[in-house]
Amino acid sequence: MAGALVPRLAVSHLTKRFGQLLANDDISLSVLPGEIHCLLGENGAGKSTLSSCLFGLYRPDAGSVRVDGRPIELRSPADAIAAGIGMVHQHFVLVPAFTALENILVGTGRGWRLDLAAARRAVRALCARYDLALELDRPVAELSLGEQQWVEIVKALYLGARLLILDEPTALLTPVESAKLFRVIMRMAREDGLAILLITHKMAEVMRSDRVTVLRKGRLIGTAATAEVSRDQLVRMMVGRDLASPRSEPRTGPATPLLRLAEVSLRDADGRRHLDAVSFELAAGEILGVAGVAGNGQTELFETIAGLRRPSSGSIYLAGTRIDGEDPAGIAALGLGHVPNDRARDGLVPDFSIAENLLLGQQWQPPWRRGWLLNRPAIRQRAATCIAEFAVAASGPEALVRRLSGGNAQKVVLARELAKASRVLLCNQPTRGLDVGVIEHVQSELLRRRAAGCAILLASEELDDLFSLADRIMVMVGGRVVALVDRPATDLATVGRLMAGQAAA
Amino acid sequence: MSWPGHFGWTLVRRPAGGLASLAAAFTLAALATGLIGGLLFLAAGAAPAQAFAALAKGAFGSWRAVSETLVKATPLIFTGLATALAFRARLWNIGAEGQVFAGAIVAYGCSLQLAGLSPWLQVPALLTAAMLGGALYGALAGLLKVLGRVDEVISTVMLNYIIVFGLSLLLLHGPWSEAGGFFEQSAKIDPGAALPKLVTGLRVHLGFVLALLMAVLVGFLIERTPLGFEIRAAGSNLRALAFQGARIGRLILVVMALSGALAGLAGASELLGVQQRLKAGTLVGYGYTGIIIAILGQLRPLGIVLAALLFGALVNGATLMQIQTGVPSALIYALQAIVLLAFLIARAATGWRLRRLAHAG
Ligand SMILES: Nc1ncnc2c1ncn2[C@@H]1O[C@H](COP(=O)(O)OP(=O)(O)OP(=O)(O)O)[C@@H](O)[C@H]1O
Ligand SMILES: [Mg+2]
Repeated sequence: MAGALVPRLAVSHLTKRFGQLLANDDISLSVLPGEIHCLLGENGAGKSTLSSCLFGLYRPDAGSVRVDGRPIELRSPADAIAAGIGMVHQHFVLVPAFTALENILVGTGRGWRLDLAAARRAVRALCARYDLALELDRPVAELSLGEQQWVEIVKALYLGARLLILDEPTALLTPVESAKLFRVIMRMAREDGLAILLITHKMAEVMRSDRVTVLRKGRLIGTAATAEVSRDQLVRMMVGRDLASPRSEPRTGPATPLLRLAEVSLRDADGRRHLDAVSFELAAGEILGVAGVAGNGQTELFETIAGLRRPSSGSIYLAGTRIDGEDPAGIAALGLGHVPNDRARDGLVPDFSIAENLLLGQQWQPPWRRGWLLNRPAIRQRAATCIAEFAVAASGPEALVRRLSGGNAQKVVLARELAKASRVLLCNQPTRGLDVGVIEHVQSELLRRRAAGCAILLASEELDDLFSLADRIMVMVGGRVVALVDRPATDLATVGRLMAGQAAA
Repeated sequence: MSWPGHFGWTLVRRPAGGLASLAAAFTLAALATGLIGGLLFLAAGAAPAQAFAALAKGAFGSWRAVSETLVKATPLIFTGLATALAFRARLWNIGAEGQVFAGAIVAYGCSLQLAGLSPWLQVPALLTAAMLGGALYGALAGLLKVLGRVDEVISTVMLNYIIVFGLSLLLLHGPWSEAGGFFEQSAKIDPGAALPKLVTGLRVHLGFVLALLMAVLVGFLIERTPLGFEIRAAGSNLRALAFQGARIGRLILVVMALSGALAGLAGASELLGVQQRLKAGTLVGYGYTGIIIAILGQLRPLGIVLAALLFGALVNGATLMQIQTGVPSALIYALQAIVLLAFLIARAATGWRLRRLAHAG
């Protein structure tokens, strides 16, 4: 049938400028019905910008878009939805107090009356079609990130999407949730002919797509059939060079313990137990990997060490000084850096420039403060150095952080916390949302720190990362440490089983 | 092929906070205010052109008129700055009204003790006292927020009521009511406590210079100091600031105290510069108008000074307008509200800009 050859989406010569910056420079690509099409590119390459243009959130400066062969005009998301385009954003846009069903229906009403019963039936049918056990009447605030993602996807389908744009859908998901997401979108494409445009930094996911389009610095590098290219070829197209994958060498010599936790427990006001008698030692020049499914106490552990939560019992020592009960500023002053896992919520001030975000927390300290005033030349100078060192794609130290792409924002947090961490570095999901090139940079930076004698606590859902970097691996389940082993003494499968709550074989 | 738009034009978002969009908003707001104001004057039975002319003449027509405009603007600069300082940290201090009273009350109380001393000693001491009074009253709301988690909007509004009634009681039946007087007012302050006039024969006083100085200081504080850095950070993402170990409770107290101190100066400037006595009615409204001033001024000192001058001119010019055209001067308060609404609407509208489409090949 000739119809199958008409692309669901055809973009030609799309260009989008932000002031001086060419975020999308003459991009053309097509997505076929039933195809999973990956959009690959470094942080700041223009992927989110392109998808925002396709969803009518930005007006392109030039170019045209066709859906099923018909030219369409995208003035607003309403136009995109009417044309059958659905989008799940890099940051979800749900109303937390509304239930899942209400979130799906919000803004979809035609006319004034909402036929709730019919809508519920339609949404139920969609969920049943893809075996989704979504609790429609729970408020979204109570759902896990994975479930919230399903709400977004079901909403797009309910609105009649025939092309689904997913902007880093797995960045915040656990590996189990990611696998499920992939199974379902495969079925959507294969069985129901949905066209899917997928943005992801995870190469394993990229390799499962049908075709890949690579962007670099706003320009189209090319489109390839995934089966015909290797992972390394794609990486080269994306970053323009080959990547080494850093691995840690075995430690040598005796190590002084820098961080010690003794029977640390954390209970919140409702009596819920987040940490249960956690004990471990972390030595100078060591990377301790924390493995665990999200929500098993890793974030609470990091926040407790950083002084953001007060343990209900137990004690914590940093270089011999007892720090539980100290305030975060005092602990940071002892040489501790903390990369929180939710950078937008906990790590950055969106209305501040890069320079100001790098200063955050040190605004009273001498080189950055002279008398009553901030030492602005020094602050700007330091920011320029950090921007160069971490290759942050931005116009300069004065660029607002809210305009940075996700990965570049993460680099700002990393630069700040690495600078503070003279003794101990807490890294909670430091490579989330970063492109492979930056991940390489971050990993070698962590190893450099380790070599310089920094003690590093690293949590990551990417077990591969943990295994290539960590000296020892600690598995957390339900706030307890269920295993603490030397890396050579274990393997991926064992740790995976332990994380799932099964005893080691 | 070009991206089709209607009649070859399209709407694009302006860069947020751009100077062009701000200027466009002001122009639009001024036009709208002129139009609606003109209709109001017409409804009040006056020719709009004449009424506006009388308004302008009343505000700027003579040195005396200019002086009166500055006198009216002075307390508004203080309260506008007070509100803006708190709002920048996203602390919704609605309590400038009460903090003005607190400043005036403490200054008056101290002036009774210092009467007869040299003005060189009295004036600085009383200004400091007023700042302390306002600061304590502001910090009280801060303390309720930090310790009791009381929302500052609620607490400051309540504290406003309390102090306004408190002063009435003091002046009606209390020790401060003027001996033998029937009015709700105190006796006059010692002449040595009065703020010096800037020009002999005109009422504009030292308070105006002080207000300008404070505008400069507040600008410096917000943009250039570590404390201002924390204020701006708190206004954008408080959580990220807390994660870096900033002491949020202390920050709230300090900001509320500074905000209160600025409002307290408005009270002192009215007491020592204009009224020379405590009189409950004369202090009413500066705090609430300060909120409008702060918003119109975009929470920035220069903007606040300009907005305060505009409102000072409106209030001052209204008297001559009433005399010459019979338009009731109270109509000016409606006009002030219209200025604010027109500005807010124009601000939202000018976030967008019409642009001619490029016809690419
Ligand atoms: N609203 C905006 N104003 C100005 N510049 C912007 C804006 N949005 C994005 N940019 C810039 O455009 C470029 C592309 O950003 P975009 O968010 O599309 O990158 P991305 O490919 O999605 O990156 P990431 O993988 O990190 O999410 C970046 O340099 C970014 O700073
Ligand atoms: Mg992006």
